[in-house]
Amino acid sequence: MGTCRVSVVFWQILVDGFAVSSLYALGAMGFALIFGVSGVLNLSHGALMVVAVVAAWAAGNDLHDDPYTGALIGIGAGFVATMITYFVIVGPLQRTQKIREEEKEIFILTGTLLWGIMIQEFIAYLYTNNAKTVAPIVNGVMSIVGVRTPKNELFTAIVCWLVIGGLWLLVNRTRAGKAVLAASMNPRGVTLLGIELSRIYIAIWAIYGLLVGVAGVLLGMFLGVSSYSVGPLTASAFSIVVLGGLGSVSGALIAAYVVGYLETITAYLISPAYRTIPALLLLIVVMYLRPRGFLGRR
Amino acid sequence: MRLSSTIRILLVGLVVVALASFLPFAVSGYVLGLLTIAYYFGVFAMAWDLLFGFAGEVNFGPTFLIGTGAYTAGILDNLYQPPIWLCVVAGTLAAVAGGVILALPALRVRGPYFGLTTLVAVLMLQNYVVVDASLTGGEIGLTVPDVITISDAKNYELALWFMAFSAAILFSLSRSPVGLILQASGQDAVQAGALGFNVTKHKLFAFIVSALFSGLAGALMVFYLGSASVGTFIDITVGVQIIIAAVLGGRRTILGGVLGAVFIIAMAEALRPIGDLANFVVFTMALVVVLLFPSGFFGLLTRTKEGG
Amino acid sequence: MRESKTRAPIFAGLLASAAFIALSAPGYAEDTFKIGVIAEVQAVAGSSIPQAAQLAADEINAAGGVNGKKIEIVTYDNHSSAAESVRAFQRAVNEDHVNAVIASYISEVVLALEPWAGRLKTVMITPGAASDVITQNIAKDYDNLKYTFHGYLTSTSLADSTCAAAKDLLVGQLHMKSAVVMSEDAAWTTPLDTEYLKCLPNAGLNILDHIRFSPDTTDFTPIFNKIEGEKPDVMITGISHVGVQPTVQWKQQEVPIPMLGISSQATNSSFWNDTNGATEGVLYQAVSGPDVAVTPKTLPFVKAFKAKFGNFPSYCGYTSYDEVYYLADAFKRAGSGDSDKLVTALEATDYVGTIGRIQFKAKGDPNPHALKVGPDTITGLMLQWQDGKQTNLWPAKVANGKLKFPKFIKVGAAN
Repeated sequence: MGTCRVSVVFWQILVDGFAVSSLYALGAMGFALIFGVSGVLNLSHGALMVVAVVAAWAAGNDLHDDPYTGALIGIGAGFVATMITYFVIVGPLQRTQKIREEEKEIFILTGTLLWGIMIQEFIAYLYTNNAKTVAPIVNGVMSIVGVRTPKNELFTAIVCWLVIGGLWLLVNRTRAGKAVLAASMNPRGVTLLGIELSRIYIAIWAIYGLLVGVAGVLLGMFLGVSSYSVGPLTASAFSIVVLGGLGSVSGALIAAYVVGYLETITAYLISPAYRTIPALLLLIVVMYLRPRGFLGRR
Repeated sequence: MRLSSTIRILLVGLVVVALASFLPFAVSGYVLGLLTIAYYFGVFAMAWDLLFGFAGEVNFGPTFLIGTGAYTAGILDNLYQPPIWLCVVAGTLAAVAGGVILALPALRVRGPYFGLTTLVAVLMLQNYVVVDASLTGGEIGLTVPDVITISDAKNYELALWFMAFSAAILFSLSRSPVGLILQASGQDAVQAGALGFNVTKHKLFAFIVSALFSGLAGALMVFYLGSASVGTFIDITVGVQIIIAAVLGGRRTILGGVLGAVFIIAMAEALRPIGDLANFVVFTMALVVVLLFPSGFFGLLTRTKEGG
Repeated sequence: MRESKTRAPIFAGLLASAAFIALSAPGYAEDTFKIGVIAEVQAVAGSSIPQAAQLAADEINAAGGVNGKKIEIVTYDNHSSAAESVRAFQRAVNEDHVNAVIASYISEVVLALEPWAGRLKTVMITPGAASDVITQNIAKDYDNLKYTFHGYLTSTSLADSTCAAAKDLLVGQLHMKSAVVMSEDAAWTTPLDTEYLKCLPNAGLNILDHIRFSPDTTDFTPIFNKIEGEKPDVMITGISHVGVQPTVQWKQQEVPIPMLGISSQATNSSFWNDTNGATEGVLYQAVSGPDVAVTPKTLPFVKAFKAKFGNFPSYCGYTSYDEVYYLADAFKRAGSGDSDKLVTALEATDYVGTIGRIQFKAKGDPNPHALKVGPDTITGLMLQWQDGKQTNLWPAKVANGKLKFPKFIKVGAAN
């Protein structure tokens, strides 16, 4: 009896942790990419994801669209919001002459932080701050190694990995991707090769926008968000990226799974009330012992 | 030259404060209440500016220091009801201890890494307050049995002169040789060290001073509001408002923080008629200032070129 | 020479800001009774508070007002923050000279305002906070805190109402025997859970486990899996901060155990849309429901509210509407807006509102100024979401439907 129960919990943790972690990974991926290539920490990250969720939810509820159209509208909204972030806030701050170079990082942090809060306020104004969920594309449950799992959870994990795989191919197997990779290593060198840095930035923000849209819509189908989630979503992406090593996309991938499983294990074995605490402690320990994270470049 | 300009600005400030101290004769208790909060926020913003503008530390966690001071004072009063000043002192000391704890990673890691450490510190404190509800009142908040006074005018004068006192000390400090060394080590720690300055010692000092004023203001504010809650003292959005106040007022000016804080509170009030959108408009204005006038109000007012 | 330029502008800046906020002149009018409403206007539950209060005031004014004076509602948005609420309260009293305040559905906010109601000697009634501490404080320091009234059920009363309904519906009709209590870790649920643990066994439900989870929880899978492993007949809930997420995940994971209890968000008519229909079958306690004629006043209120604002009132809408009425009644009996007389008049309140008969517990009770609860006053209801509608199942005399669960719920199979 006892061992049976233990093994059930083990498989439950393995299955549930995987879906949550995949979602964390996809959410943090774009954030890591943007930092790696242009050194920008986008503190409106969580707000952009919430835009995608709320747009998909509103499309389903107000316009009575089917789930596929709703999801597309959500991804589109996340993409547009991300591009606005770049063209209105980050881009101008990167180019301005009024601020000294070494202070630009601070201004981008403050600017994106403000932008995120503006989005949060505006969504609360339009749709109240109650949580919203997106109607899932696949319904029903199935059994995976004896664990009753919603098909939507499996769908989430599969889509996350397809997108992550697609990103990997794009960066490693295409010319444009290689230019981006080069830009992240040596921006000046790329400029010398005759590739305009600003075009690379736009390309990378466009990819980021799509990632944010997909991750947001999946999150909305799987867990749901409210306008309050803006801060925690940004903080979670930030923590995962720092844990993995700023600028390292594969580090962020590993960190997402470490955090996802740590949280799931805590929730199952200790108490759901302490879910986030061990991950925060781990973060502090890593910052003290190995500040550059798991795979950070130094 | 620099010394005399410092003294002149302080004198001008004193005149403004002296004039402001007559406001209780001119405006209603409600406006005084608003300004009281704005002055405490002004101190938060100035203390933050010392760390950020001068020591170059991106501190997303001003509320870690404020919350530590506020909650220590509030819990002490709630448990034993000692004289209020004792609670305030205890809160301040706890905040200073918090400042030292925060400084340790800052001496090891830089930039965004340190920013994240401070963010985590706030989240940990918030988790602690919510989990240990029997002591802290949890998410409902802590009601303290004592307040300093319920007179609007007295609360206002206390906040005003406390703010003036803090401003004088922080501003003088920023213009002193210590401030210059901080600025140098904030911009290039290696070079500052090579010039023979003890960067570690100076940074630690900046953290202690910033924590001292944050904690003191937090503790005083508890005894003004009569309650402490996560949403008032610890939540990240409170920290964001402090940062916005400092940046709006003008970084590396110290005094700008007070202007920024008064502006934010006044705007939120003036925009009350438009209801739900008021905060949205205030944040939008802040963003416009950040994008178009990065040197802030103080920079606009003094019309001096940033970093000139 | 830059200092010569600094002087005037700083000056002007500070003074201009001061003058700016000084502009809002105090509105003084002796020919009205003013009620300040401090509410979470952005939240679904809170947005009904000022609307319902305004509706009540309009009706009273149309009928001639109180002692010939009109009722005026002044609304303040507190952005769900305790500090902003304190500021709003000060403004309401010192600047707008209100005679009484209706404030907030969040316990944190009401507890922060409670001492201020005492310090500024102004009557305050909450339409939706639940914490027992609010009235426990009054018992401890009656003379200073007597200005606060609790216009909604305390957590303990909410638990009692839930247990009474569970006894009739779950034990009586479905022969259930066991339950797991599942509450968010918040101060308002501490007395709720204490009472659940006492009254559920008395109702005939054996408690197998008691789970408290963080209000920040977004993934409820571990909680549902743990509960399912313990094989209870029902989950008894205590949730308010969360609502949409556990409900949607319950449906998605097809957890075969019904949920019954306090689920504040489920009382909102928009909950069906917010959860994309996942709330089908959820049972929740409430003091009112859109089609439930608790008293003769309930349905006319709902109809008028829907006509004016286009949606159904939240639970705080009902209480807020009643509060304006019995405040008006107390104004009438007190003869003036004087706070001490108003307290005496409110303590003598005996008014049939939309949620039942309103009477306050007297000084000397462990919870003075809390609403009296029972068959003669307020019983509460137990509703269930069925096909997009909130259907009332309990008490039987105002029921308009029968228990019905979605397919994935296994009820009675075990017995």
